Amino acid sequence: MKTVFVRQDRCVGCRHCEIACAVEHSESKDLFQVFTEEKPSHPRIHVESVDNYLSFPNRCRHCDPAPCMQVCPTRALSRDEATGSVLVSYTRCIQCSVCAMACPFGIITFQQVRQLESDREVNAKCDNCIGRLSENRIPACAEACKTGALEFGDVNDLIKETRADLTMRLIRSQGSDIQGPAMPDNIRAYKAVMETIANL
Amino acid sequence: MFSSSDIKQEAEKRALDTTDQEIIGKAIEDGIETAWERFALQQPQCGFGQLGVCCNNCAMGPCRIDPYGGKPSHGVCGANVDTIVSRNLLDDLSVGAAAHSDHGREVVEVLLETAEGKSEGYRICDEEKLKRVAEEYGIGTAGRSKEDIAKDLALGMLAEFGSVKGFIQMAERAPDKTKAIWTEFGITPRGIDREIVEAMHRVHMGVDADFINILLHAMRTALADGWGGSMIATDCSDILFGTPKPLTSWANLGTLSTDKVNVVLHGHNPLLSEMIVQAVEDPELKKYAIEKGAKGINLVGMCCTGNELLMRSGIPIAGNVLDQELAIATGAVEAMVVDYQCIFPSIPATAGCYHTKVVTTSRKAKIPGTQYMEFSAETALSTAKEIIRLAIDNYPNRNLDRVRIPGKPMKVMAGFSEEEIRKALGGTYKPLIDAIVAGQIKGVVGIVGCNHPRIKQDYGHVTLAKELIKRNILVVETGCAAIACGKAGLLLPEAADNAGSRLKAVCNLLGIPPVLHMGSCVDNSRILVMASMVAKELGVSIGDLPLGGAAPEWYSQKALPIGTYFVASGVYTVLGIPPKIFGSKNVLNLLAEGLKGITNSAFAVEPDPVKAADLLEEEINRKRAALGI
Ligand code: SF4
Ligand code: SF4
Ligand code: SF4
Ligand code: SF4
Repeated sequence: MKTVFVRQDRCVGCRHCEIACAVEHSESKDLFQVFTEEKPSHPRIHVESVDNYLSFPNRCRHCDPAPCMQVCPTRALSRDEATGSVLVSYTRCIQCSVCAMACPFGIITFQQVRQLESDREVNAKCDNCIGRLSENRIPACAEACKTGALEFGDVNDLIKETRADLTMRLIRSQGSDIQGPAMPDNIRAYKAVMETIANL
Repeated sequence: MFSSSDIKQEAEKRALDTTDQEIIGKAIEDGIETAWERFALQQPQCGFGQLGVCCNNCAMGPCRIDPYGGKPSHGVCGANVDTIVSRNLLDDLSVGAAAHSDHGREVVEVLLETAEGKSEGYRICDEEKLKRVAEEYGIGTAGRSKEDIAKDLALGMLAEFGSVKGFIQMAERAPDKTKAIWTEFGITPRGIDREIVEAMHRVHMGVDADFINILLHAMRTALADGWGGSMIATDCSDILFGTPKPLTSWANLGTLSTDKVNVVLHGHNPLLSEMIVQAVEDPELKKYAIEKGAKGINLVGMCCTGNELLMRSGIPIAGNVLDQELAIATGAVEAMVVDYQCIFPSIPATAGCYHTKVVTTSRKAKIPGTQYMEFSAETALSTAKEIIRLAIDNYPNRNLDRVRIPGKPMKVMAGFSEEEIRKALGGTYKPLIDAIVAGQIKGVVGIVGCNHPRIKQDYGHVTLAKELIKRNILVVETGCAAIACGKAGLLLPEAADNAGSRLKAVCNLLGIPPVLHMGSCVDNSRILVMASMVAKELGVSIGDLPLGGAAPEWYSQKALPIGTYFVASGVYTVLGIPPKIFGSKNVLNLLAEGLKGITNSAFAVEPDPVKAADLLEEEINRKRAALGI
């Protein structure tokens, strides 16, 4: 199973993923035109912050089974079997927002979409960049993220990396306080300063 | 959005001062957007920018480096993280140096115009200082009129900005041992504009890529500001408007008046605001204010223009940089007059919610939605009168239902120029040195800089100042830091009760506060001059003295050259907000450690003011031990 794996501690809150998502789902797919389109495209990934310095990129997990799919009364939500993506049929969506109540991650937002003639705001959730996936490209958010906070790949491979980090830390430290390679000292120092400010 | 208890809580979170809290509450009730709301809306802020690893210098970019050591590790041009971080720092620092120095240049230009009899309302106020500075420039003074001397001096100072002369006269004030360090590392400033222009050149794609070389030039550019542009701004302003002498006045938003025309003078340069101080003495304008139903005209200052006016004329000061929107939100301001630097572009929008008129005055700082009344030296006094008339005309528009003036103003003592401190000591720094040697005063720390919405307004300044004086460390202040301590009642002789017993005894003996207000941000040059004189008296470098610097709540690019010229002159400096350099281990290490071997000083980052006091005390103790005291 392929997914966008999130490494929260690497997210620097740049919101580049949000912009890339909005551009990808626009008509022009062009940063310089997206804001002038009749129905401007908005991000489907949400970077939110705590204490003004910690951030988390919250993206649809394309759950299976998906709570949102299970509750949708009109079957507006469906699964693309090839990629595992949970997709919305905008014409079927009746804006009841029951999906948003069921989603454990709060990632569903309602927006006008260019695919509909009307101005109705429908569930415009992450579609896993299914168009890109079919061209063997990775989702726009993962491509935009330059810190490794969003990585696209086989979920077990990505988890393995985290496991390898932990193994390294455990074995290297051998009970002493030597740290593994996960976080450079300067970034650790920066986060400590920001934490102090947040707690003043 | 907020319940009333929520509002109180939110106000207490945002600011330390109770008068500020009251108006923050009112602003929330009135639905006014302030810097705090905008700060919240900006979260999360881009970490690439905060770490300094984003380069937006050329059209191949913007490029950003993975701070966790992965790919990308280089910009399109191949610049690595050290190059990008140091170049960004040099860029920001140069902006700050340019701001101080361009302000300085304007004052010199008015001195020249005044000497030539072309200005309106100005005169040479401090002839003694004029002569003293002229002599440093090798300008003859005997038997010459002050105008003649001033003309030569102004031309001599203007020459400092170019690159023909190759050195800055004022930097000669530094002790020989400090100058020798600058020479050894090639950071003696050669000209003010020259260093800034060269910095811009080095920042261009494909010029300087060596972070050490870039940081050395940053130090040279900073020195050109501190010992050049800023020092010129201070000395020329003293010559034109008088060197500050100790005086008492008032601080906080309670300085606004319930029944007079309130005019807030906000910005940095004293050139126009001093004319406004003169203009309000005009009997016709006084009469006009009464005709319009007011009891008179009430001038108050804000930010560094406020400091300039407080220091020289005792004009009350309404607040520091985060107070600019709050002053308007009292509903009692007829006009806010601004020149430049630290003016929120949001001000006209805030003013639009009340009757306040915002007047911009500088050709280089226009803000849409304001009334523009151009300032020039030839017509300065007339323009000042026109501005006051506009404020008076606006008085009847004040909506009494929307006015709230908080609490009571706090008494402050200010006006501690280097000259006056020396005079108070009996003409030489010998008594201060004796007090330091005897441990009556453990050391001296300059607390400077701004407010920042990340930190409760004034909390950093006030807490640090209190911690230091408790430890018998004398505090000198400028800028928004000084205003913060003014609001908190620390700029009073009585505040010596908060000091350690030894410092308290010294303050009581001299009748001075334990925290001395030395002026505006350009007046950090006064601290440099004072440090130089003490070092010279002892035959050591500034870096040998038990001194420290701190900028607990800084936000402005101008704070970067200030911190850097402090450090390059030998003063250990603690910052409360991290500069945008944490993306590069090498830059961080050089500034925090590497410099110790060069200037015997360094930067530290410590937002917790109590821990910052620990660091400063430790450094002071280290230097005392090295001096054998
Ligand atoms: S919208 Fe929420 S519930 Fe549905 S698949 Fe995405 S994360 Fe899961
Ligand atoms: S809002 Fe639309 S997608 Fe969500 S449950 Fe209702 S109909 Fe389904
Ligand atoms: S692009 Fe990456 S680092 Fe930036 S906000 Fe998104 S997840 Fe975080
Ligand atoms: S100068 Fe180099 S690093 Fe900076 S934007 Fe241009 S290519 Fe990128």
